[in-house]
Amino acid sequence: MIEFREVSKLYPGSRSAAVKDLSFEVPDGEICVLVGPSGCGKTTSMRMINRLIEPSSGEILIDGEPNTSMSGTELRRKIGYAIQQIGLFPHRTIAGNIATVPQLLGWSKERIRKRVDELLEMVGLDPGDYRDRYPSELSGGQQQRVGVARAMAADPPIMLMDEPFGTVDPITRERLQDEFLKIQQEIRKTIVFVTHDIDEAIKMGDRIAIMEQGGVLAQYDTPENILTSPASDFVASFVGEDRILKRLSLSRVSEMELESAEGAGKDLPRIKGDPTVRDALSQLVGAGVEAAVVERAGERKLLTLRAIEETLGNRRGRT
Amino acid sequence: MTILLQGFEGPLFDWSWVRSHLTSEIIPALVGHVYLSFVSVAIALVISLPTGVLVARYRKAYAPVTLVTGVLYTIPSLALFAILVVVPGVGVGPKAVIIALVAYSLLVLIRNVVAGIDSVPPETIDAARGMGLTEGQILLKVELPLALPVIIAGIRIATVTVIGIATIGAYIAGGGLGALIFDGIDRSFPTMVITGAILATALAVATDLLLLGIEHYFRPWARAAGRRG
Repeated sequence: MIEFREVSKLYPGSRSAAVKDLSFEVPDGEICVLVGPSGCGKTTSMRMINRLIEPSSGEILIDGEPNTSMSGTELRRKIGYAIQQIGLFPHRTIAGNIATVPQLLGWSKERIRKRVDELLEMVGLDPGDYRDRYPSELSGGQQQRVGVARAMAADPPIMLMDEPFGTVDPITRERLQDEFLKIQQEIRKTIVFVTHDIDEAIKMGDRIAIMEQGGVLAQYDTPENILTSPASDFVASFVGEDRILKRLSLSRVSEMELESAEGAGKDLPRIKGDPTVRDALSQLVGAGVEAAVVERAGERKLLTLRAIEETLGNRRGRT
Repeated sequence: MTILLQGFEGPLFDWSWVRSHLTSEIIPALVGHVYLSFVSVAIALVISLPTGVLVARYRKAYAPVTLVTGVLYTIPSLALFAILVVVPGVGVGPKAVIIALVAYSLLVLIRNVVAGIDSVPPETIDAARGMGLTEGQILLKVELPLALPVIIAGIRIATVTVIGIATIGAYIAGGGLGALIFDGIDRSFPTMVITGAILATALAVATDLLLLGIEHYFRPWARAAGRRG
């Protein structure tokens, strides 16, 4: 668990604080997304966790221990670190890059070799093909995969990720996000993830910390609660007028309770696969109908506009 | 040359002199020249590396360091030799030549060490620090290896310059290929002048190529970049 206790950061020569009285907790195994407009102190907050930046006041506890209880370098070797510009070492091979922290920790060559291959496979790069290449030979998306693999190399319980999928095209980014969420389901790291993109925050976060100008925490909650009940006008406008639709993108059609479509008109359009509720709604509206048929485990179910409205109501009731 | 070699008669280049003096004069002069140049650049490098690293860290020192080494660089070489020989403890001989050659190399070397370190992408250093490399490890394992091409480029310029200026060192009894040239002028014997000049030029070109090869060898990642399709 990571715990911020009234953490503030005032840069020398600057009149206003970059981060002000920040207090929140990140439970183990969750992704906490720090999101907000540029200059809101989200990156500064993240960098104070592994002490690349020292707070002016307050403290940060990791598993109950202040992060100042060991040296900065010792601390950083125990915390994964991935950044937007990736920062791969151009003079080291992909294997050499991934092996950075294990080497610092004095792992045996054999153990490092195994770990490197395991990680390359995890991020979807064939070890035999990529191990001995240099970063300049890889595409942007491949480099970001290596950056994430490098951050996970020594299996740190905590990872800091600053817009780790920021420099690639939207399609590649979406794929990297999906792959990473899948990996996270297995590895269950405690992750602090920085982004300026609210959609990425909603997709990636178990919890979202929305920060506003001056390093103030505007709201800290689950994506659902933030979308349902924004704590302030700032949060509401930052989340966007389409927050109802964004909520619909949090769940999939397969998670909805639907009535059987037996006996319903055969001329209703069919929705294929298992899209998000938002995409399904888009298909209904696009087809100009109020209901469509979805197939689930061989059963035909009826998806109606009304059922979608009810999910929103149910969600409101539940929270 | 016509003025310097007044009164000269006979063939411009005498091969028989080259053959008969190869081991007694020419090779020792070449070896002496390599020694003067190599020792000078080596000493200059030992001074420039730490100075450059410090200057890259403490930016305020850059202007004064460039000023001092820049002034040294602009002193005419003959004048510098003349000054050095009257300095107590230096005097005539290779020592004065080496001191002068070191002085001439500093500007280029220090400037290239700083430029090399500056060329390292800041995000690479941020990633290194974020993963827990110490400041010393960042310097030795990240900054210097990545700065190497620029540093070696500086060594190449310094070496070629030093090989050229070292010939003048013979004027104050520094030895090297300059001795052949000065002797040739004194004796109005162009064969010696030409031999010395050609060898000095060949040495400069050969060293430059050698250093280029070394730079290439130490940068496998740059070769790999060329493979990207």
